Formats: sequence, C-alpha cells, structure tokens
Amino acid sequence: MQMLKVEHVTKYYDKILAVDDLSFTVNDGEIFGLLGVNGAGKTTTFRMIIGLLDMTHGSITLNGQKINYDITNQIGFLTEERSLLTKLTVKEQVCYYGVLKGMKEKDILVKLDYWLKRFHIEQYKNRKIKELSKGNQQKIQFITAIINEPKLLILDEPFTGLDPINVEQFMEVIREFKEKGSSIIFSSHRMEHIEQFCEKLVILVKGQSVLEGNLSLIKKEYRKKNIHVIGDVDKKLLEKIDGVIKIEENANEMIIKISDETVIEKVFDVVKKGSNIQKFIVEEPTLNEIFLSKVGETYEG
Amino acid sequence: MKDKLIYLTKQSLKKKIKTKWFIVTNIIVGIILIGLVNIDKIITLFGGDFDNLVNIVVNSDDNTYQNFQETFEVLANSLDNSYNYKITKADKDIETLKNELEKDDDKVIVDIKTDEINYLTASIISYDELNTVSKQVITQTLDTLKTQRGLLYSGLSEEEYLSLTSPVDVQITLTNPKAFQGEDVEVIRTLATTVLILPCFFLINMLVQMIGAEINDEKSTRSMEIIISNVSPKAHFISKILSSTAFVVIEGLLLIFYAIIAVIIRNIISPGSLVDAASASEMTRIVEVIKDTGMISYLLRGLPLMIILFVFSFLAYAIVSGVLASMTTSIEDFQQLQSPLMIIMMLGYYLAMVSSAFNGSVFINILSYIPLFSFLLAPALFILGQISIIELFISTVITIIFALVMFKYGLRIYKVGILNYSSANLWKKLFKSMKKEN
Repeated sequence: MQMLKVEHVTKYYDKILAVDDLSFTVNDGEIFGLLGVNGAGKTTTFRMIIGLLDMTHGSITLNGQKINYDITNQIGFLTEERSLLTKLTVKEQVCYYGVLKGMKEKDILVKLDYWLKRFHIEQYKNRKIKELSKGNQQKIQFITAIINEPKLLILDEPFTGLDPINVEQFMEVIREFKEKGSSIIFSSHRMEHIEQFCEKLVILVKGQSVLEGNLSLIKKEYRKKNIHVIGDVDKKLLEKIDGVIKIEENANEMIIKISDETVIEKVFDVVKKGSNIQKFIVEEPTLNEIFLSKVGETYEG
Repeated sequence: MKDKLIYLTKQSLKKKIKTKWFIVTNIIVGIILIGLVNIDKIITLFGGDFDNLVNIVVNSDDNTYQNFQETFEVLANSLDNSYNYKITKADKDIETLKNELEKDDDKVIVDIKTDEINYLTASIISYDELNTVSKQVITQTLDTLKTQRGLLYSGLSEEEYLSLTSPVDVQITLTNPKAFQGEDVEVIRTLATTVLILPCFFLINMLVQMIGAEINDEKSTRSMEIIISNVSPKAHFISKILSSTAFVVIEGLLLIFYAIIAVIIRNIISPGSLVDAASASEMTRIVEVIKDTGMISYLLRGLPLMIILFVFSFLAYAIVSGVLASMTTSIEDFQQLQSPLMIIMMLGYYLAMVSSAFNGSVFINILSYIPLFSFLLAPALFILGQISIIELFISTVITIIFALVMFKYGLRIYKVGILNYSSANLWKKLFKSMKKEN
C-alpha cells in the first residue's frame, strides 16, 4: 500500500545542510503536502525523489523499488520554475515530454486535445509557448506533468502565477488523480493551499521537519480551538473562564482562543447569558497557529 | 532508453534543421557559393565599360606593319584571351595621333622604327595604363619582329638562333619513389589543402556554437530537469553529440552539393569552361598532372583515414563543447568559455594554411598528432606529402582515444554541470565530479 517511502534522507551541499533526516510515506490515492518557506528544502527533496540529485544519506523507494529510469515513466513532475522550451509550440512541447515518458505520439495528441479543452485553451495548440501568458504556460506545464497519467505526481508550487479560478481548476484535476489512486506530493509556501488540500503534510524549516503527519490528527492533537461569537456578550466574564487563553476582537466579532474542548461548554454558558447572539461557531485552529506554537515564530509563507 | 535516445537525437536534429533559419541560411550560402564560382559571368551580365576593344594603330613602314599585323594575330589567337583587337596603320603624324588619345581611350599607338644597329625600336603610347595581356602580346610581337630582322642581317638560320637563345634544358630527377614530380604538384597540393580545410573549419565552428546554444537553452529554461528526470544524462549527452555531428555532416554534404550546382551552372552558361576561357587549358593541365603523378591514388589511399579523423574530431569537438556548455549558466558564459577552443581551432587552421611554406617543421608535425589540431593539420600535411599514411593513421588513432577518454570523463562533468545553476565553486564541483564513477 505504501507507494512512496522517504526514509531518513539527508542532503548536504558541501557543508551546508539542505535536508536533515527527513522521513515520510505517501500512500496510493493520497495528497501529501510539503510546506516550507523559500529555501526550506522542498525543491531539494523533490529533486532527490525524482533522481536529479543524489542524497547524502537515506533512501527513497517507490513501491519498494529504488527510483531509476525504469520507473520514471510512472512519475509526473511539475517544477517550481517554468521548464518549457519556449520556442516550441504547445503541441510540440507536450509531445516532446510525453515521448520522453514513454508514450506514443498519437496517444499524446488524443490526451492533449482533452486537456486543452478541459483548461479552455484549445486555441493555443499550435502557438509557441513564448506567446502564451504566464498562467497559460503554467497550464501547459501542468498538462506535461499529467499527460502520462502518473502513478506518482510531484507538484512543486503548482499554483504559482494562477488566479483563484485556475487554482480551483487545478485542484479539481488533482483530486481526480487522487480518486484514480495516484499519489500526489505537493509543495507550497502558502499554508492555506496545504490546509485546503492535503491529508498529510510535513512542514520544513531549514531542512528539518518541524511538524508532520495527518492534518486532521495534528489539528485534533493540538487541542486548542477558536470560538467565533457575534453578539452582546460580557467579555470580562469570558476572560475569567479557566481555559480561555486569549480573546481577539475583530469588528463586531470576538475570537475566543481556548485550551481544549472541555472549555467550549463553559464559554457557551456565558455566551447564552448575553443578548442579540448571531453567531457561535467552534473552529479548528489554523495551521499557522499550530506552526507558531511549535516553532515559536510566525510562518512567513 | 534506446528509443528515447533515438527520439532525443531526432528531435535535436529536427530543431536545427526544421527551422526557417536553416533554410534561409542555406539558400544564402548556396547563392553565394554559386555566385562566387560564376562571379565573372555575373559581373559581365550587369554590363559596364568593359567592351574589351583595343584599337592598335601602328606607325611604321608598310612591310613592318604587315609583319606586325600577321604576327600579332597569331599570338593573340593562341592566347585565347577575352580582348578584341583592331589593328590599323597610322594615317596621321604621331603628334596628331597622341592628341587624339584623350578622346579615344581604347586606342594604343605602336610607333615602330627600324635601323641596322638596333634592328627595331618601338614606343607604346596610350592614354591610360594598357592592360597586361595586350601589353604582353604587343611586346612579344615586337620581339618576334626584331628577331626576324636580326636573322635577316646576321645571316644566322632560324634553327641556329633558336638553339642559341633557348633556355638550358635542366632535367629534375627525384629518387624517392613516393615523391611526386612536376612543377605543378605544389600548387595542386596547396589548392587541395585549402579546399579541404576551409569547409571543415567552417563546420566545426557551427558545431561548437550549435551544441552550446542548445544545451544552454535547455538549462536556462529549466526544461533540462524534466528531460533528465526521464532520460539519463548519458543518453542526453550522446543525443547532443550525435545530432550536432549529424548536422555538420549534412551541412558539409550540402556545401558539396552547392559546389556541384555552381559548376553545372557555369558549364551551362559557358560550356566547356570551368574557370574561364584563359585558364581552361590550365585546369586541363592540372587534371593531367594529378593523373600523371598518381596523386589521385595517393589521396584516395588516405581518404578513409581522413574521413574517420574528421568524424572523430567532430565528435571530440562536440564532446568538449557539450561539457563546456553544461558548465555554464548562460549563453554569454558559454561564449567566453569557448574562446580557448576557438583559438585552438584558429591556430590549427592557420598552421594548416601555412604548412606548405614550412616543409618539415617539427613543431607543425608534432601538433598534427594532437587532437583538436590534428583534424586540420594531419590531412593538410598528408596532402602536402609532409607526413606518411602511417603518421596519418597514428593521428587518427590518437583522436579516437581522445574522443573516448573525453566522453568518459566529460560525461561525469556533464552529469553534474547540466543541473548546476550556480557558478560558485564551479571548478571544485567539476573536478570532484570527474573522480566520481557514473
């Protein structure tokens, strides 16, 4: 079941430590997030997975097999920077990368038509890459990564240069691949993308994993929660409750940060004594809050 | 992986050939080459002040005029030159004729005086400088007339005179059985060397630029990462070497094709001539010398080795250029880094061109064994007869070994270089990579 297995991987560039003892597994049909600010070691990790870089220590296997050129046809890779030959046309570019993934040109063309239509860019099929907008170039790059219907899809900052509508379109396609059983590793420096999208994650800081595991479990284990309240409530009474850490006021809304679930009822008892109550919602903490508490500084993604 | 290698090579070659610039460049090169071979025809096609009429006015007595006219016509016809001559006897005094020269600049006055002491004296008077061919024909005619008069007064027979004035017949004999004899051999060898070296120099230049630009393009667009994640650096490197070498071979064949077309066009324009009418007989003579001296069989004997040397030199240059390109992060860096390679090539080219003037030079001979120089020097020295076929063979073997060694160690650098985007500690990284087995 475990498809990709990264075990105690360490990478040094001369004496500079880029990735430090990193371990994680990605199962079939799972979206895995790799979160970190620029220079955290995300791209280095991806390059080691794909075999572009040799690791200093550790091992990386796909279905128990060391990743080599015999199995790279099963992998789709989207690099952080544009990796397109800008003088080629869209058709030539996708065919070029497709054949390098072991596909036949006629199969590539059938799939290309489908994806171009899906991304509403079928009119650009014979246009040169350099003539396309950044967003459309990113779509072409994404198509080159998925054209071979990979079992393992590696996406390094896939939403760069995309507007929210296109981000949603990409997410939809990625979810489809997940449904089909592909394993997806996805990196971003934007926490909200990881939060929306990934079931499991690793947060890297200077090459080290500071937080890892199943996102819902992380949030559950974190215990702290936020209660959003709109209404006329006595703030002083709330502050006196044992377990209320902090109360923030945002316009007419109060955000009450509590230490654990047992505090919810106590807060509710106080709130119901108030008047004009319009909102009482208990929310999981944001990933940023968890990061802050673990690392001691805010995430600068 | 083999399929991917073939695909990469085909794509790389297609990228070089299936472009409008390749077509445009080849059309221009073809037109220039055809134009160069037919340049005299093109010049005359556009017209101009070159009707080539020379109007010779002879101021002499009737008998001398008669002799001048007959002798001049024989000599002019034998030379088969492109000038048209009109010979007339002077009907005015010499001063009047001189005054008329400015108005009629085709006119040449040949003022001939005869006496018993000098036999014959003459002046050639023209407004502008008289062309060399006409001056030569007039001078020879006057010499002949003077000889005839001299014979008449001295009482010597023509045979006696010829025997007296003919140059000493010196027989040159070379005892080396491999040496070619004949005064034209050096000229032919120099010609063959130039014909061989120039296109090769041009093609290698293209090869170095092309491979550098392509690798840098893939590096700078980061498409290299996608390519190398699907094919090994070795396959990628081989594909670049093969496609670039195939490209220069195709371009070389095209150059030969253009040259053939140029000669065919020339023959259609003026049948039976290769260079021009005056030198047609010269060409025939050169061909005869090549046949008579056995140079053809000599050249053919060395040809297979020369072809192998060229191909492996192309490969060696492609390998070195590929490695240099992999080390750089932009085309500007590559341009700088390839300068030493260009200087090596320039030096080889220059030495090959001057090698005929330094027969037996130890320095040039040693360089003819050194790869990257040898592809220009060794064939040139072989054609010039300065090295034997065994020495050509040794040069070829050394180049093959060099290409293989360069490939083995170059690949290690290439593997690291193509995914390296920083110039920091570049040399350290590369030397370190050379020690690492692939």
